[in-house]
Amino acid sequence: MPTIAIVVLVLFSAVLAGVLVLRPTITIRPEGKILAFGVLFFLPLFCLLIGMDNEMERSKSTTFCLSCHIMEPYGKSLLVDDPMHLAAAHYQNHRVPADEACYTCHTNYAMFGTLKAKLGGLRHVYVYYLKAQPRPEDIKLHEPFNNRECLHCHLGARSFEEGATHNADPATLPAIKANTLSCVSSGCHDVVHNVGQLDKVKLWKEVMPNSDQQN
Amino acid sequence: MTSKIEQRLRISGTLILLGLLVEAICLLWSRPIAFVVFVSLGGLLTGVGVLLFLYSLVTIDQAPKEPL
Repeated sequence: MPTIAIVVLVLFSAVLAGVLVLRPTITIRPEGKILAFGVLFFLPLFCLLIGMDNEMERSKSTTFCLSCHIMEPYGKSLLVDDPMHLAAAHYQNHRVPADEACYTCHTNYAMFGTLKAKLGGLRHVYVYYLKAQPRPEDIKLHEPFNNRECLHCHLGARSFEEGATHNADPATLPAIKANTLSCVSSGCHDVVHNVGQLDKVKLWKEVMPNSDQQN
Repeated sequence: MTSKIEQRLRISGTLILLGLLVEAICLLWSRPIAFVVFVSLGGLLTGVGVLLFLYSLVTIDQAPKEPL
């Protein structure tokens, strides 16, 4: 449902709630009782649920993540004109949905992964508003990047399973799959965002394409 | 003079009204803090309002001609 339709429904419910606040005596009649049940129980919960769903979907968008000033360099890192930059190569070649680029790699593909990702996001909000903000290049992941997030897409793909580097040593591929050898470990795909070096690299585009505009 | 149930309906309705207004503002305000305000303040006000309404229903006096 479009955001504007939800807003209209929420405001309509608010107006009805206002009518009950001003005229509670209308609940003496049976139709008033039905109205009260709808306005004070059904509609608020329905609005809360669809609003929450809308907010959750919106919080997955690339523009949502990049709307914090501190995240701007990370957005810029998606535009680096170098295929060795992991995040940029994924974003520019649509290996991840461009409008959900951050979420696709930084969510947790396990049970309650989305919920855990959102709780992690609340920690970001806490730090952003209530603590001393770190420099963008000093931001670290809460925990080491789990290969599970990469394997969610790459497992079974020919380029991954038959890749020359992945098969140079017979122990490499099993170690990657067991998460004992990180995909982003040194010497492998270790150039990810590199926000500290952005002033030294060429950009593919200066601004993000329109594809990641929010609804 | 308003009855107890009318007072509770007014409080419940006011809380829900405020909660819904907070939700509407947050839906139009596309910032990460809006998500937090939507869940914490909007959800809290609406939730408390609905619970108070339900509490009013189960503790209502059965006197005739009372609202609800």
